[in-house]
Amino acid sequence: MSAPARKTSTIGIRLACVQLMQQLLGSSGSMTRLLPEAQSRVAEREQAQLQAWAYGFARYSGELAGIVDQLLDKPLKKKDLDVYLLMQLGVFQLRHTPTSAHAAVDETVKVVKQLKKPWARGLINAVLRNYQRRAEELEAALTDVQRLSHPQWLLSRLQNDWPEQWQDICEQNNTQGPMTLRVNLRRGTVEGYRQRLSTAGIASQPVADAPAALRLDSPVPVAQLPGFEVGDVSVQDAAAQLAAGYLARYCPEGGRLLDACSAPGGKSAHALESGSFAHVVALDQDASRLERVEATLSRLGLTDNCQLQAVDAADIAQWWDEVPFDAVLLDAPCSGTGVIRRHPDIKLLRRDSDIDTLAALQASLLDSLWQTLRPGGLMLYATCSILKRENEQQIAAFLERTADAEALGESRQILPGESGMDGFFYAPLRKQGG
Amino acid sequence: MSLLDILYYPDAQLRRTASAITNVDGKIAKLADQMLDTMYAAPGIGLAATQVNVHERLVVIDVSEENDAPLVLINPEILTSEGEEEMQEGCLSIPGVYESVKRPAIVRVAAIDREGNPFELDADGLLAVCIQHEIDHLDGKLFVDYLSPLKRNRIRKRMEKWIRDGADLDDIPERP
Repeated sequence: MSAPARKTSTIGIRLACVQLMQQLLGSSGSMTRLLPEAQSRVAEREQAQLQAWAYGFARYSGELAGIVDQLLDKPLKKKDLDVYLLMQLGVFQLRHTPTSAHAAVDETVKVVKQLKKPWARGLINAVLRNYQRRAEELEAALTDVQRLSHPQWLLSRLQNDWPEQWQDICEQNNTQGPMTLRVNLRRGTVEGYRQRLSTAGIASQPVADAPAALRLDSPVPVAQLPGFEVGDVSVQDAAAQLAAGYLARYCPEGGRLLDACSAPGGKSAHALESGSFAHVVALDQDASRLERVEATLSRLGLTDNCQLQAVDAADIAQWWDEVPFDAVLLDAPCSGTGVIRRHPDIKLLRRDSDIDTLAALQASLLDSLWQTLRPGGLMLYATCSILKRENEQQIAAFLERTADAEALGESRQILPGESGMDGFFYAPLRKQGG
Repeated sequence: MSLLDILYYPDAQLRRTASAITNVDGKIAKLADQMLDTMYAAPGIGLAATQVNVHERLVVIDVSEENDAPLVLINPEILTSEGEEEMQEGCLSIPGVYESVKRPAIVRVAAIDREGNPFELDADGLLAVCIQHEIDHLDGKLFVDYLSPLKRNRIRKRMEKWIRDGADLDDIPERP
């Protein structure tokens, strides 16, 4: 027999994917950091596939483990985590991808050779074939933690904060967020850009609430976006685009803006594009992330109006020239629980204890940066969290302890998937006097 | 390393039924080795003795990625089979032709190895398909026999023309 029409082998991608998951579970870093390294170990044409599998795997990790556990007579040894993950990857493909069942099983089994664990061959084969036979029964036996692929601590917090909506939230978290663009209104109109997209064969829809936004019907590489390189457009979720609306509404006179935790720079860029602010001071603690802010601003031709500094914003003695700001945007470090659909590894990496640590950090940023705001000025507190501890409770406590702070209207909690947006929180605050 | 000549469809020799091997001796071992060399060189993943015009029940197989898992099956026999799977098959005796064939997905096979020891083997996936394909050869059967007569005829005509033109493996006709 001659080999069937040469299919490309997926063994390399599978191996890289299992190794990446091992690193994630060992808390060696986030997906954003580890993926490029993993991609460098596979062929260029395999990189998109690896990314899709790795994100899917992280997204459904709880469910996959729950299914494989039911199929194993006894748990595998710790040193055989790779075999355990390989089985989960096989189940992932059978459940969530159009890979043919034969390829999913056959190619998965072949990876044992690369792992130098030939003994696992029969076991993996049996687990995957049993899954195919018993899928429905295995699914029915999953717990909520497994079925929704959310760790217990997070599920408990969501159930507590959102007794009516937690199921929907979890399901939304397990989808893939749409690709949303922010049209540079200095360069053209939203409708004009929509037509350019349509000419390029890319369908898009406007988004209520976010006047500069266009949501793509299906994602495309940024290189295919007309005028991306010259700054006609940026990629930014509609929820993040609401920041500029708050700044324009409550600080229409513009002036000087502090963006305290600015990376990757989208909100500063948007504020400058909208034109009300003459000058922006953009800080970020992480110098390498600040480089991305610079890249974004220079692509959009906005560097002249912006001053970048890699510092800890809370340490105001170190960076502040004591000239008060007209507005402060505090897009605070947070749990990221509103953007799990874009960063499913959050479910694997975060621990319950992180929430208290983050809440303390947010409180300290609120207190220090409040001092840099002029009386009468606006502070916009924002997170991409959906936990009340980081959001409405955080703001309530701040207002309680800060005599000259007042809430400007209602804060807004956007839950993931609401109008197609990421989960986000905004609280506009005014400093009395002035 | 000496390579054997492979018969091409529709050669009538491919329709002969091979006879059982009664004595696994050095001659059979040498034939198995030559068949493996021929198969790897083709390149292929399975070869039956029938295809090299030896009408004895011997097949060689290697479905591994790295060509490092040779399998010699003497007097192979399918004990049980289950399931159904459809896979693209090709054949070293019908170069350039690939068609989907439905076969049982999992088979249990009994055979004798190169050293003369009997053994049993459970196979699925590509290996299961390959074993069945090769055992068919020993019975004078080809994978094109599973296709419609119309399709088979078209393939036969194309092969006859290719052989008339000199059977140049670097010039295999395009798939229709």
